[in-house]
Amino acid sequence: MSHSEKAAIFNKNEAKVNWHDKALWFVREKRDTAAHKVKGWEYLRELASGIKANVLSNLDNYLIEFETNAVKNGIKVHWASNAEEHNKIVHSILSENNATKVVKSKSMLTEECHLNPYLESKDIEVIDTDLGERIVQLAKETPSHIVLPAIHKTKEEVDELFQKHLGTKPSNGNPEYLTNEARKHLRNKFLNADAAITGVNFAIAETGGIVVCTNEGNADMGAHLAKVHIACMGIEKIIPKEAHLGVFLRLLARSATGQPITTYSSHFNKPALGTEMHIVIVDNGRTEQLSREDFRSSLHCIRCGACMNTCPIYRRSGGHSYDATIPGPIGSILSPGKDLTKHSSLPFASTLCGSCTNVCPVKINIHEQLYKWRQLIVKDVKQPLIKKTILKIMGKVLARPKLYAIFGKSARWMLTYAPRFMVYSKLNTWGKSRELPKIENGNFDQWYKNRNKNG
Amino acid sequence: MKVGLFIPCYINQLYPKVGIATLELLEKLGVEVYYPTGQTCCGQPLGNSGYEENAKGACQVFVENFKEYDYIVGPSGSCIHHIKEHFDILEQTDAVKNVRNNSYELCEFIVKILGKKNLGASFPYKVGLHKSCHGLRGLKLGSCSEKMDAYYSTEEELLKEVKGIELMSLKRKDECCGFGGTFSVFEEAISVKMGKDRIQDHLDNGVEVITGADHSCLMHLDGLLNRNNQPIKVMHIAEILNSSI
Amino acid sequence: METLINGIKTEIKMGRASILKSIKENKPAFISIPEIDIDFFKEEIDFLETFKINVELVGGNITELSELKHLNTEIKNKYPKAKRIVSDISASNLGTVSITKETDPHTLENVDLAIIKAEFGIVENGSVWISEDYFPIRILPFITNDLVIILSKKELCLHMHDAYKIISDRERTFGLFISGPSKTADIEQCLVIGAQGAMSLTIFLV
Repeated sequence: MSHSEKAAIFNKNEAKVNWHDKALWFVREKRDTAAHKVKGWEYLRELASGIKANVLSNLDNYLIEFETNAVKNGIKVHWASNAEEHNKIVHSILSENNATKVVKSKSMLTEECHLNPYLESKDIEVIDTDLGERIVQLAKETPSHIVLPAIHKTKEEVDELFQKHLGTKPSNGNPEYLTNEARKHLRNKFLNADAAITGVNFAIAETGGIVVCTNEGNADMGAHLAKVHIACMGIEKIIPKEAHLGVFLRLLARSATGQPITTYSSHFNKPALGTEMHIVIVDNGRTEQLSREDFRSSLHCIRCGACMNTCPIYRRSGGHSYDATIPGPIGSILSPGKDLTKHSSLPFASTLCGSCTNVCPVKINIHEQLYKWRQLIVKDVKQPLIKKTILKIMGKVLARPKLYAIFGKSARWMLTYAPRFMVYSKLNTWGKSRELPKIENGNFDQWYKNRNKNG
Repeated sequence: MKVGLFIPCYINQLYPKVGIATLELLEKLGVEVYYPTGQTCCGQPLGNSGYEENAKGACQVFVENFKEYDYIVGPSGSCIHHIKEHFDILEQTDAVKNVRNNSYELCEFIVKILGKKNLGASFPYKVGLHKSCHGLRGLKLGSCSEKMDAYYSTEEELLKEVKGIELMSLKRKDECCGFGGTFSVFEEAISVKMGKDRIQDHLDNGVEVITGADHSCLMHLDGLLNRNNQPIKVMHIAEILNSSI
Repeated sequence: METLINGIKTEIKMGRASILKSIKENKPAFISIPEIDIDFFKEEIDFLETFKINVELVGGNITELSELKHLNTEIKNKYPKAKRIVSDISASNLGTVSITKETDPHTLENVDLAIIKAEFGIVENGSVWISEDYFPIRILPFITNDLVIILSKKELCLHMHDAYKIISDRERTFGLFISGPSKTADIEQCLVIGAQGAMSLTIFLV
């Protein structure tokens, strides 16, 4: 199903759309408030964008520098060209350590690689420990937002889920009660885990260290209890120097949720005594995106989700209508690069309003890339015959003023004199919920001609 | 200065009043206005649908018609934005470059080039300004709510001077109306919902007339208003600024 | 470079070699790193007052002590029920559970209160920097039910850029910026204080 079909289904429940829209707009407003408080916010964005541009232009050297420094500090570094290799590497580390119980904090990369089902097929229990991710895991759904995975779920829905899977008492969706029950349940998992998997928010070439940011503390609860810590990162998560973290950590949480910083910004440089730390560096299509001049800067993304919060389409259609690991505006410029046909409707799921580009902390020109993807898609992916034909004819008519004049006149005649049932037939999508414009007597050309005649 | 008047295709065919108001307004401001009759369309609907290549013919026609003017002025932010941004697919001859550099949306032309703000207009109604996206974020007709820049709005500067007008404040200052060209048809459900939400914002704040610099947005909102019999009218800013001069 | 997996050493090397080769072929022309002009962010504000406001904004508690000798009393007043207390000895001697680098982190499951010294605080976001230099077991600030931070009110810097100036020039193992108690808004955007980490965070300014 295309985005528009899924979105139409989502819109059947207007109350839910209003609720979802308001919830995310609220997060956008919090972002605005936080950004207003920062002196030099736009300068920070400029710096972040510039740093990431430098990174992409020197990525191989930074990765080598990172690996060298990480290894020096006792961290084991692995490289995976694609999702399969990534999953195999993670699994083999777990096997080596006889790990059958794993706790995992938020990592969109592991979502992208479909790590959970892979490990589960090898009889390894994987518990997603971010509360939002645990909720969708129990619901057997995918996250609908990269920062707020369960934003599409009402508290009553969560209540029912927890009753079923955690044995909680009915509480009418009391958030404190449910969070506390989840805390107890997850604590148990942390204490019994053999290994912890985390994502990586930033990897620093200069030091070989990584930074993991959470509000709940779940990444740390996992990493510091288990004997093995595996951190998975895309190649583009590298930044050159620690000083650059100053820029990114000032932008990240404010863009994502409006907080000045996440509760925990944990800096891992060496494994703890008696433990192992592994980093898996993953390509999975990123070097291919790197080759695309028009779309390369989408690799600047620091996964803050601000573009989703501001997007009027995302807010009214929900993350699941994008049918991609990463939804929303950024997802719509990343996903077509991976599978042009599957994701061909995504760049069209936008009015190109440009709001996403303006909230992006690393200044990705998202709306311009959406436009550019459209040009590629109509060339490479089969388009509906009607759409293709109409637009090609339009192109020819608009290039010939005399033909255009005839076309304009006949279209206007049709709209004026055709009976309503014909004009507002099922074929007229516009007319489903909107009136067509009333046709005036004569167009501008005629008025102008008459005016000149009359002096 | 010789000004070439650009009347967007849908305004020509469906809303000639807006074109008339634009021409009359410019003439009243002392501008020498020419209307090249061979103009068709800037090509935006094709470009936005992915058929940029097929729009080249239309773009060439545009350049041919407008290349000899000092300024090209049109009552549509999105069309002017398309010319400035997306005519990069044409070979960049001097003619093309001139057209791209000298195209102006109407309000921008009046305030920036003519340096005028008070146009002697009178419009004693409660007006809600819809800040169309391409004009706002594309042409930078105003500051937008996402960025931490100093506040300004070209349309408001002009509207504030209109006698009797009451500019109403909205909850969401610059959210998209949901038109988006062919988006309005291919993502119909979301397009309609976005439009309805915009209208509700205006209704909640006592607006009688919604105005803006892009009649495509207004056409979309008008379609909803008329279908749902809601007590708001739409009027292009040119019509308001041209009223009782 | 050593890999863990016997028999598939070649495959892993292929991953690395092919990734680096692909990057080299596809990366754009070099763009130099922008310089960060820290002076741009200078602000004339009251460090202490702004820090206090921001700590509370992120859900933390903050108490300014007139005299260091009141510290233990203040802590006991705030957390009267705390029995299993782990304390950084240089900060407070209220500790009832002693831990070393060899302690199994799982045994800290029922710690009621941890008292940790922070090296400095950051005004712009109400966070403090704590590191493994000051607490021997990494899980401590997370697994404890409540967390007390001892901070010298003189050790405040304005923003993250200054913070990194302080911590970057040293050999590090593990450390973190911690800002308030653990929290989540994952259930219908309702903010709940106390998620997986500490349920509360109190800073005593000395």
